[in-house]
Amino acid sequence: MARYLIRRVVMLVGIVFVISVGAFYLIHLLPGDPAVVILGTGDSPQNRAILFKELGLNKPIWDQYFIWMRNILHGNLGTSFISQTSVAGTIRAALPIDLELIVLSQILAFATAIPAAMRSARKPDGPLDRVLGATSFTLLSIPPFIIIVLLVLFIAIKLQIPHTGPSSYVSFSSDWIGNLESLALPAFTLAIASFVVYYRVLRSDLIATLQEEFITLARSKGLSSRRIMWRHAFRPSSVALLGTAGVNIGGLLASGFVVQYLLAIPGLGYTLISAIAQSDYLLVQGIVLVVSVGVIVINFLFDFIINLVDPRISRE
Amino acid sequence: MSDRLLEVRDLATTFATAGGPLPAVGGVSFDLNQNETLGIVGESGSGKTVLSRTIMGLQPRTNVTVSGSARLNGFEVVGASEEAKRGIWGTEVAMVFQDPMTSLNPVMRIGKQIDEVLRVRLGMDKAAAKARAIELLELVGIPSPVERYRAYPGQLSGGMRQRVVIAIALACSPKLLMADEPTTGLDVTIQAQILNLLDRLKSQLQMSVILVTHDLGVVATRTSRIIVMYAGRVVETGSTRDVFQNHRMPYTRALLESSPKVASHSHTRLQAIPGRPPNLMKLTAGCAFAPRCAYATERCHRERPELTAAEGPGHAFACWNPLPTTRGAS
Amino acid sequence: MSDQLEELTLINRPEKSRPLGLLFWICVGWVGLNIFGAIFANLLPLPDPLFQNYSAINVGPGIHHLLGTDDLGRDIFSRIVFGSRVSLAVGAGAMLIGFGLGAPLGMLAAYRRGRFDAIFTTFMYVLLAFPAIIATIAVLSFWTPRALVKIIVVIGLASVPLVYRVIRTATMGIATKDYVVAARIQGATDTRILFKELLPNVAPIGVSFLLIGIATVITLEGALAFLGLSVNPPTPSWGNMINESRTVLAQNPWLVIFPSLALCLFLLCLNFIGDRLRSHFDVTEVKL
Repeated sequence: MARYLIRRVVMLVGIVFVISVGAFYLIHLLPGDPAVVILGTGDSPQNRAILFKELGLNKPIWDQYFIWMRNILHGNLGTSFISQTSVAGTIRAALPIDLELIVLSQILAFATAIPAAMRSARKPDGPLDRVLGATSFTLLSIPPFIIIVLLVLFIAIKLQIPHTGPSSYVSFSSDWIGNLESLALPAFTLAIASFVVYYRVLRSDLIATLQEEFITLARSKGLSSRRIMWRHAFRPSSVALLGTAGVNIGGLLASGFVVQYLLAIPGLGYTLISAIAQSDYLLVQGIVLVVSVGVIVINFLFDFIINLVDPRISRE
Repeated sequence: MSDRLLEVRDLATTFATAGGPLPAVGGVSFDLNQNETLGIVGESGSGKTVLSRTIMGLQPRTNVTVSGSARLNGFEVVGASEEAKRGIWGTEVAMVFQDPMTSLNPVMRIGKQIDEVLRVRLGMDKAAAKARAIELLELVGIPSPVERYRAYPGQLSGGMRQRVVIAIALACSPKLLMADEPTTGLDVTIQAQILNLLDRLKSQLQMSVILVTHDLGVVATRTSRIIVMYAGRVVETGSTRDVFQNHRMPYTRALLESSPKVASHSHTRLQAIPGRPPNLMKLTAGCAFAPRCAYATERCHRERPELTAAEGPGHAFACWNPLPTTRGAS
Repeated sequence: MSDQLEELTLINRPEKSRPLGLLFWICVGWVGLNIFGAIFANLLPLPDPLFQNYSAINVGPGIHHLLGTDDLGRDIFSRIVFGSRVSLAVGAGAMLIGFGLGAPLGMLAAYRRGRFDAIFTTFMYVLLAFPAIIATIAVLSFWTPRALVKIIVVIGLASVPLVYRVIRTATMGIATKDYVVAARIQGATDTRILFKELLPNVAPIGVSFLLIGIATVITLEGALAFLGLSVNPPTPSWGNMINESRTVLAQNPWLVIFPSLALCLFLLCLNFIGDRLRSHFDVTEVKL
């Protein structure tokens, strides 16, 4: 276990290093003089001096990287010259919305996918399994950005349900019920995308697990079907589910960007797209870095949880 | 109740498959008394595993039809609902499975797997169940049971795992223990240990045992009666002594000659049974063994022989051209 | 399971692979029609997709405009047909890059094993850990001005690690089979084994993954377009059209419904064809 953990941590550090180099180098993809582009509308001799000092733009590229890295390790992602605010502060304000959205959608997705997969697996090829199979296959082909647009069209515009349309975001601190209402459609959209994946993975894994001899043994103990399903079949199968959920996080965040963009919900996604539109490159760079590292760390945590659930993995 | 524990009458199990119905077991009848040990012997594919599962009602839940009767201590297993059968599983009848590598839940501590039966079936509280589980581990001969209680199956050897499977089966003191090839998945050196353990437990706990195996050597000294199966049917049955020494069915002899432990004392070469077990979906009207039998006549291919009584008590065989009654072969 | 039951599962498995079925061919037909439309859009009797007819703004479906017009009076049907070009170009181009780099590397790594495999596989897994869509957004937001070629290159490169993993896993399953080992022992050359033994067996897996990969890539481009990070307007693309419809959802719902339908139907057909091919070739467990 300890060796396994050490190996994973070394890998994690390696990946984060690669990401940081990538994110750092983004600035140099910009055509022309990066200073001109970064300063944008905020181009003045004073700002230019600050930027050169902060990024070490007149130094060799490796020194620039180390300066940049040292700033980041001190929690300093730079100051946007376009909005005159600190990048770290902007991210800190937006991030909770993304987290709330993800947590809500995952609660919905797990609460529906697990029972659905269990019912399907109980009678594979039965009527319910066929209906759910066809439904999930169809939903698989509908991208989240279409789901959210259609939901907004029918629920917010046709049915006029309050707090669901564009630009009607309510913050959690001001009115938590309104906040939940305004996040209902986005969370539902993300939940559908997750549901499809979780349902399909868990269903096929459960069907395989239910064929195992230890399930027959559990039956021969005189246990109820419910208990066999949850205690004996679900636990080994949940490893596949957790693995999928971990991998799914990146896509989930990206889908979150899309729904935030449509509804003008001021999370990281909306902030990112606005920053791109305003050529606020330091902010874009900061968000990319935070999101990427976040995804990697979440993946790592999932790996760790899987390890606790399934004692077979770390032993091999 | 008399001392009769199990009555099986004309039991048949048919699987529905994509290629049509597959008669895995047909026309099986026998009785089993309390404290008796019965051996069911046959090659792989002879239907002995399906038979043992059907007797306790543990066949797969879909695509199977069972007919006939299996009455266990007054409870009719055939046609009973899964819920009703749960009432006898564990307490009346329990099973030791073939392969201890796959029959234990890999992600559950072994203690929990024993506890579970005690708590769900006997309503014990947590502490009592744990104490009893440790007792059971000790009973089946697992060293330092307190530590092993927390182990995962993957941390135990095959022999140790099979002992855990036995402990689970014994947890609710069943009256009948089904042992389905309990040693096939184990090293030769461990096999005897497990069989002796089963023997010891049987007399200690006053159980009946049905020992299912392909290996006549396993049943020779441990059973009082034997059923020989071929292609899903009983082809010979009788006391262990009769089956070994006065067998009439050529298939029984072929099995004996292919069994190393019985043949070894006479220094004869082992005889493999020629040909392969039949495809159950393509059975003819005749005797299923006929295509592989040296004594087969035209009648054997045309007409299936029924079980006919022989001299010994309860000895019967299904053959048109039985071997002579004088001392058996080998 | 007992031998008897093992035998049963063998019998249960159909001896011939499943027939492809009518729905499969309908899907193939639909995809074919889309490709035809994309290639020959110029020659078809369609109105100019960029022509703004201010006397017919937000018109519903009808005779003059089959699927109606948008808020600038442009013909929706024509824009959908021309818009399919972007999706198809991205799907084909990005997968060409993804398979062109990922597939040979994956096959070689699985066949050679050893250090070559270790280095590439570690490298690809590091890249795989990086969320592709976020990487794509990041690069496309800095690499301005955006153009179709850049989008294809970025998405294509982002798909390389995934293709590599699928092909490597598939090849490994086959490279350890007896007949390949036998060919190796008999001294067949590497090229011969790669092309004669491995390629024909990996190809079916590759093809079914290719279709699902194209669908994934088209979805990604759609999402980028929706965020305004794909080809610049007024060039029509399905994602662009859905993005433009945001502001007039209440007035003209057709503007979002038709391009959405076009995109979803196309994706559904691709996924269905890929899924059917996979079960047809009896590709059991290749994790996608």
